[in-house]
Amino acid sequence: MSAGQGNTRKISIYRYDPTEGGDGHFDKYDLYIEDETNTTILDVLIRIQREQDSTLAFRYACRVNMCGSCGMVINGREGLACKTNVSDFPGKEKITIRPLNHFPVVKDLVVDMGPFFEKYEDCLPFFEPKEDREEPYVIRPDSVERTAIGLATECIACGCCVSSCTMVNYHDGYAGPAPLNRAFTLLMDSRDALYDQRLDRVMQSCYNCRTEFNCTEVCPKEISSTKSIKYIQRMAMKDPFKGKTEASEDGQAVSEGCKGCGNEETDSGRRNFLTKMTLGIGAFSTLAVGGVLATSFVGPSMKKQKAQWVSAGKLEDLPKDNVTTIALNYKEQIGFYEQDRVKPVLVWRKSDSDKLVVYDSRCTHLGCQVRWDKPRSLFLCACHGGSFELDGSVKAGPPPRSLDELEYRVENGNLLIAMV
Amino acid sequence: MTQEKFRTDILIIGMGAAGQLAALYAYDANPDLKITIVTKALKGKGGCSRMVQGGLNVVLNDADSHDKHLMDTLKGGQYVNDQDLARTLVEQATPTIKEMETRFGCFFDRNPDGTIHQKPFAGQSFDRTVHKGDLTGIEMISRTTEQVMKRDIRVLEECRAVDLLTDASGKEVTGALLLDIKRGEFIAAEASATLVATGGGPTQYSFHAPGPEKSVDGLGMLYRAGVLLRDMEMIQFHPTGLIIPGSVVAGSLLEEGLRGAGAHLYNGDNERYMLKYDAAEERATRDVVSRSAFLEMLAGRECKEGGVQIDAAHMGADFVLTNFPGMAARCAQFGYDLARERVPISPTAHFVMGGAHIDIDCHASLDRLFVAGEDVGGVHGGNRLGGNGICESVVYGRQAGKSLAKFMASDTSTPSETKTGMIDELIKKYKEPLDRPKAGDVFKLRKQLQDCNWTNVGVVRNGKDMEKAVSEIAAIRAEGVKINVTGKKPYNMVWNTYIDFMNMLDVSDLVVSTALNRNESRASHYRSDFPKQDDDNGLFNNFVIRGDNGLLELHTKPVDFKYKSAEECRAHKK
Repeated sequence: MSAGQGNTRKISIYRYDPTEGGDGHFDKYDLYIEDETNTTILDVLIRIQREQDSTLAFRYACRVNMCGSCGMVINGREGLACKTNVSDFPGKEKITIRPLNHFPVVKDLVVDMGPFFEKYEDCLPFFEPKEDREEPYVIRPDSVERTAIGLATECIACGCCVSSCTMVNYHDGYAGPAPLNRAFTLLMDSRDALYDQRLDRVMQSCYNCRTEFNCTEVCPKEISSTKSIKYIQRMAMKDPFKGKTEASEDGQAVSEGCKGCGNEETDSGRRNFLTKMTLGIGAFSTLAVGGVLATSFVGPSMKKQKAQWVSAGKLEDLPKDNVTTIALNYKEQIGFYEQDRVKPVLVWRKSDSDKLVVYDSRCTHLGCQVRWDKPRSLFLCACHGGSFELDGSVKAGPPPRSLDELEYRVENGNLLIAMV
Repeated sequence: MTQEKFRTDILIIGMGAAGQLAALYAYDANPDLKITIVTKALKGKGGCSRMVQGGLNVVLNDADSHDKHLMDTLKGGQYVNDQDLARTLVEQATPTIKEMETRFGCFFDRNPDGTIHQKPFAGQSFDRTVHKGDLTGIEMISRTTEQVMKRDIRVLEECRAVDLLTDASGKEVTGALLLDIKRGEFIAAEASATLVATGGGPTQYSFHAPGPEKSVDGLGMLYRAGVLLRDMEMIQFHPTGLIIPGSVVAGSLLEEGLRGAGAHLYNGDNERYMLKYDAAEERATRDVVSRSAFLEMLAGRECKEGGVQIDAAHMGADFVLTNFPGMAARCAQFGYDLARERVPISPTAHFVMGGAHIDIDCHASLDRLFVAGEDVGGVHGGNRLGGNGICESVVYGRQAGKSLAKFMASDTSTPSETKTGMIDELIKKYKEPLDRPKAGDVFKLRKQLQDCNWTNVGVVRNGKDMEKAVSEIAAIRAEGVKINVTGKKPYNMVWNTYIDFMNMLDVSDLVVSTALNRNESRASHYRSDFPKQDDDNGLFNNFVIRGDNGLLELHTKPVDFKYKSAEECRAHKK
């Protein structure tokens, strides 16, 4: 045990008084610390409260990394006050302590965890037994199921991961790391009956993760929510287009696959996935696996969207023998997140009939917007000079292929275009 | 301003294992019941259940039996247990633990063949401790908290009960007065049935295992409400509390499984001192191991950090890191290498064996009042076995839940009104320190109380020191009622510490009074002036109640050897 050295440390703590309101401010304290290796940030707060400012508020309970009450941001990084030692910040480095991000502040370092638990509950984080039974299941500890779940059930819901996540603030509907991690452990649990419903709940959310690994880095229990989220994406990819009504049949199959864990019923794709997952449990490979999963599974998910029919107005409004640019307004699924889109399409109405050709306005080179140049009778791309003939074929420049054509149909005089 | 209040069918105070299981079982028996849980902490984050490391004792193996578990429990408690409660504990543990898995989704560690693993703990004739790694409480409480979320059960977080409410006669509990910590406002909660399940946590001792927010609140409330309590002299000191000078983490535990697995204990003279105290050596019960360490320390054979040392390293670093990763990590945070070196430890105040006198359905001595978990006395007698604590919480939480539902179904009488003026008087009492002129410091005073208890009413006691403690506690109280609380009402931690401190004062009185009334040494109660266990005169229980005049009334009753005789208990070999 290395003997610590006595030091006076500068501590800066965020203060907010709910009876006054406003933006809050930082108060500065000097604290002499005899042994920095034996002094936690929680000790620092307790001592400041006792010795210098009794009005300071912070939250803690167990003080041994088991309850997850004392999550806060310490020198820019989320952590439990009871698990962070002063010696983690060597030298004379100032220590700045502020409340968790993305949570309403109650007072000083105390935040309202309500929004966190709302999202947590929304992911159906609770076990629902498949059957009434008296005896616990016999499940081998080295089964694929339990190896995959591993210690991910040790989450203490401290909120550090949510605070560290850049996407939580960006998407209101994003459940965030801890709730998705819990959902993952239950999705893998062969004893649980809510596979379909739970997957349905987390489908939208799981694609909001941008694989930054912030949550994994800060987790005081060393759980990788990133990994759990990637696995959910993989589960969702098993059949990404199934909606609420259709999901059950397939979901059940996956769930039973779990129960069989490694037995013959398990299809090979799933086994591959689970093998990867098992490897991922190793200390080194969370990043590698997460990365692989991120590129190979998030990527394809973007392409395999189901087409939706978007109204482009009345057919009779389109001049004949002409190309018209129409901006389509619709909601697009990005991954499983819904976003409002405005997308221009190019509609060529031929002179002799009601026949149309509808082009996607994206250049097939790098996706810039092409425009119809009437005098030259060409579609032109401003980015790299690509040009296309009226029939969509490449006239010049880097585009590798013709413009993409979109499906259309006319219903009661209305033009509908299939958007992907 | 009119007083904020609400009415509920069942009010559950505390959200550890006992409180949560009571809510779940009551709800499942009748989902129409309005159930409200109030907790001092965030939901599922307070209390000692979550801090459980080792695990729960339960009979699951054909080679084991409820009779053996019962005999171990009675032997561990040195025969003064309530045998009805102890028997229910061991018998109901089996179905309860199974239901923790099959109904609530816990998943305990497995044997290689997939059956539930059970590990050795001290004082047991069979390896019967079910666990999840070495941090079992997280699995249990996370899962049950989720189950509470799933059901229509109301949870008021950071909302502590400060006192029970009673009717004009004082014989019926009508609910509790709550303090909403976030806002600093009082709420009167009225209920047809009230369950006290706050847990204990003897933090009135300077070196303690439970987190500081555990402050014997339930016991304080029960006593002030005039509930009959028993065995209050029995305070358990866990032998292996981590020594971390100057840190609030000091006193936190290294789990019992270490000793169960074969860790050795050494004094400052490099001697395995347990060999001279007990045939079971380090696997003797907690009372014996703690007392032995304390006697070594008193004799000046302490290690340089002040206590004794635990040696798990001799079992091999790999073994320690594989089986006790949580403990190794806890040590590592403070520069100790559990897998490779000896780590300084000391006995640490851990558990209150005493508490409310109840029947197996958790009825306490007042009408409409139920008590479960550490707030109960009698289950463990004079000393609790490791692994029987969380077991008590889940078993009696389940008993209470079923019993509450049954009570609600059969209750035909109308709940009485809360005694007129009681709510206002209580609020006035608790608000008073906010308005006092600046005086005193509750942290210093609490420290004074903790030191007094540790020195005089601790692991080793004697009549003279305890008499001194009686007057010292009185002096601390006299000062306590004069000190002020600074700051405003919302999330005022000093104010909460003051309320904690008031509960500690009441419980300190109870412990010292009953300890003075047991002139022998038994289990966790060791008196250097009466060092022998005296079965001719000592087979009784102390009962205390707050009399009508506000003074503590004490009486004793002989132990009822209902199922197992004293001879059988004595003859039982672990």
